[in-house]
Amino acid sequence: MALPNQQQVDYPSFKLVIVGDGGTGKTTFVKRHLTGEFEKKYEPTIGVEVHPLDFHTNCGKIRFYCWDTAGQEKFGGLRDGYYIHGQCAIIMFDVTARLTYKNVPTWHRDLCRVCENIPIVLCGNKIDVKNRQVKAKMVTFHRKKNLQYYEISAKSNYNFEKPFLYLARKLAGDQNLHFVESPALAPPEVQIDLAQQQLHEQELAAAAAQPLPDDDDESLD
Amino acid sequence: MASNEPERREEEEAGETAAGEDEDTGAQIAPIVRLEEVAVTTGEEDEEVLLDLKAKLYRFDKEGNQWKERGTGSVKILKHKETGKVRLVMRQVKTLKICANHLILPSIKLQEHAGNDKSCVWHATDFSDGELKDETFCIRFGSVDNCKLFMETVEKQAEAAGKKEEKESKEADSAAGELEKLSVGEPKGDEKAKEEAPVAADEKESESTETKAA
Repeated sequence: MALPNQQQVDYPSFKLVIVGDGGTGKTTFVKRHLTGEFEKKYEPTIGVEVHPLDFHTNCGKIRFYCWDTAGQEKFGGLRDGYYIHGQCAIIMFDVTARLTYKNVPTWHRDLCRVCENIPIVLCGNKIDVKNRQVKAKMVTFHRKKNLQYYEISAKSNYNFEKPFLYLARKLAGDQNLHFVESPALAPPEVQIDLAQQQLHEQELAAAAAQPLPDDDDESLD
Repeated sequence: MASNEPERREEEEAGETAAGEDEDTGAQIAPIVRLEEVAVTTGEEDEEVLLDLKAKLYRFDKEGNQWKERGTGSVKILKHKETGKVRLVMRQVKTLKICANHLILPSIKLQEHAGNDKSCVWHATDFSDGELKDETFCIRFGSVDNCKLFMETVEKQAEAAGKKEEKESKEADSAAGELEKLSVGEPKGDEKAKEEAPVAADEKESESTETKAA
């Protein structure tokens, strides 16, 4: 279900509701998927922000309208209004903050009051942090309520595609659905004049002097 | 991919969950759409892979004067088998989304990143989202050698593109010269075309009449 002012698309789209306590990483997770960036700064979401997120699958292109909701009670706003017509959901908690896991049943109850029988993924975020408070063995809620559980890290991208893949498979009833390469279209020719090029080179020199946000060569061999 | 080194430790700690990670504990829910398998095109079918390396890409955020992550995955230098055009395409691992897609032009200038010898920076007019955008990119490799290899490959292709451009413009110049010579006879040719047009229409008409008659 898209907002009236939202661009409609000619391929399947789904309303995905993302809930969980404030600071568990809902917005960071969505942003990571949208632009690739990892936002360290915490700015509480007010009300809700809706972001379209496309994936290419072996069954064509699909879109999730991600309803990234405020986790903090005081910024909660419409709540039930955000959930209505939700077709799938993610409940997020922070494995480094026990209380955020304790509150999962409340989020689940509120969600299910409005959205019956939709696929739900429980995500334990921030598993890259060394001193986690909620160990994997302590996470049992999903078994009681028949949810899927993934440990994720928006920081390291660990399992970051799994929640979307799981939901897409459930919504389509196809266990073999998988992500595929989106077509890399031929870039059009561009003309760059000398003045532009000089400006770019100046900018380049300034940019090259700025440090990278992370320098750990964890994965590039 | 090996990007999960830091988490592996956590996984081992997690034990059971890690083992049963792909276990589906979700409820049985009726699907809401039916999707048919479609043919997948990467858009890279007619290209030769000149280079394929694992890397992490950043884009420069001018407003915030800072680098922001764009994606981790494999960066490829691709050469089109017919046009000879060379481009850089990078895809995010797992989701396979495009995080960079631009031509290697003669004007491209690569520069080492000041604080990291496994990284280099450049400017490009990027087409990742299907619209042209000016971007300043930084790419980081797992080793200094890979970074060197990348820089050498791009520079070599940029140089080749420059030579090709020069040759083509020379050819265009001489072609333009030829055209000038021809242009004297042009008005005549034009008139002839005009004369021919109604004839063709007539022929068509008579053809369709014939068809009707038949």
